[in-house]
Amino acid sequence: MPQDLAEVYRTTYRALVRFLYRKVWSAERAEDLAQEAFARALIHKPDNARGWLFIVAANMARDDARRAARERRHLTLLTAEPQESTSAADQALEVESDRARVRAALEELSPRDREVLLLWDSGLSYEEIAAQTGLARGAIGTTLSRARRRLVQAYEAGKSGEHVARG
Amino acid sequence: MSHVDDGTLHAYLDGELSPAEAQGVDAHLAQCPACRGRLEEERALITRAGELLALAAPPDRELPPFRAGDIKPLSRLWWQVRLPLAWAATVVLALGIGTYVGSGSRALMERPVVGPQAYQSRDFAETDTPASLMRERSPAEPRGKRAAAPQATPAPAAREELDRVVAPERAKVAAIPRDTALSVATPAPAPQADIAMFVDGVPLRKGSPIGIDSARALLGADPLAVPGAPIRAIYRAREIGYSAVVIVEQALDSSTVIEVVSRRSSPVALDEIVVTGAGAVAARRDSAGAAERVGSARVADSLAAVPAAKAFARLAPVETQNQVPRHLGDLEIQITGPLRTDSLQKLLRLVQPVKR
Repeated sequence: MPQDLAEVYRTTYRALVRFLYRKVWSAERAEDLAQEAFARALIHKPDNARGWLFIVAANMARDDARRAARERRHLTLLTAEPQESTSAADQALEVESDRARVRAALEELSPRDREVLLLWDSGLSYEEIAAQTGLARGAIGTTLSRARRRLVQAYEAGKSGEHVARG
Repeated sequence: MSHVDDGTLHAYLDGELSPAEAQGVDAHLAQCPACRGRLEEERALITRAGELLALAAPPDRELPPFRAGDIKPLSRLWWQVRLPLAWAATVVLALGIGTYVGSGSRALMERPVVGPQAYQSRDFAETDTPASLMRERSPAEPRGKRAAAPQATPAPAAREELDRVVAPERAKVAAIPRDTALSVATPAPAPQADIAMFVDGVPLRKGSPIGIDSARALLGADPLAVPGAPIRAIYRAREIGYSAVVIVEQALDSSTVIEVVSRRSSPVALDEIVVTGAGAVAARRDSAGAAERVGSARVADSLAAVPAAKAFARLAPVETQNQVPRHLGDLEIQITGPLRTDSLQKLLRLVQPVKR
């Protein structure tokens, strides 16, 4: 028998958006994907809807990133010149925000560490994270401790690096 | 004894060790100053990592309904999903009415004990089986389960204080289930399943029961409770935007159980690292949003709220919760329970740290 998805939607939707946002870095896109994941859950009626949703969301975010990369490549070919000037300007703007620093720090983690950290931050338990990632439950604490340490270190390093660069 | 490794410390601070494992860590920490020092370092690291992630959180928005385009082909599916639950809820309600009619108006105050297993199933953390969801959602049951409260004898002075706040409530608490039972008797099974969900459906995911020491370790401070009322159990919970959430369950009397929720956020530390405007606003909004999220106000946004909204309004005073948290140090305190908001607010003013 399927879980009551209305309840799952109410308790899990925001967590799912939060999880997706750290992958696609657009609130609108994250919300679209979360809605799409729930729409699929309605059709597939998974037994463990919560876990299922996070797996589907992770897959959709990966596809989304690939598509975005492909579109960027395509655009670059069309314009036949690298868009360095605009992207540099964008980066300069972005660099100001803490969000961009955290994003950069997250990207320095190994994919597995990042995944575990993001799943935990979205409210999943060790048990759920283990089921999701295929890691042993006993390895989650160690993975999280490493991921947290690296995140903080990378963030601090990025911050002091900027100060040096600006002189 | 060997020292506690980082992974175990993180699992301990995350509240993810089994009670036996946590006791082992407690025992080692008690005799190892080095590990106690590391515990504090790791706690700070966890807090810091959480703050950084909060800086990169999406804006907190209202829970949207499914968009029209999605709902259209799916509305029929919703019935398929709901019907079995509605059927089961009807059975549960029928049983509830039977008990109620059978034993008179005090039935709800003295409902037979449902048993510890049923009670624990309400606190399921990760395995939301349909059966447990249904059990959680049956409206007649929650107060019944609370009849299982072991009656301790609290300190007299504190007890008087408590009684002053709670006594006027008892009559109401006893009276309102009658309405519920009557309305249940009307033949509208499907919406009923929804009502109950919202009555007891605070989106706080209660985890496993923990000891007072673990609670202290999680919060980095004594958890708070209303003095004079026996503590039935302490749970940890997970909530986005908070590094730790501890729920102290207290019995005011045999039929009234409140939950004192202590949430640990770190506003000071957050202020320190927030440098520029945009980030600061986003971060605050995020933590404010998280506090708001426990409120039942957003029920109306949720998928199935419309048919249930009217009945929910009637039930709201019973199972309401105060929306304004109290701040004590790093902790944010709220009380939920089957009392009126102003009574809960009075209780909130009484809370004290739990000392051993």
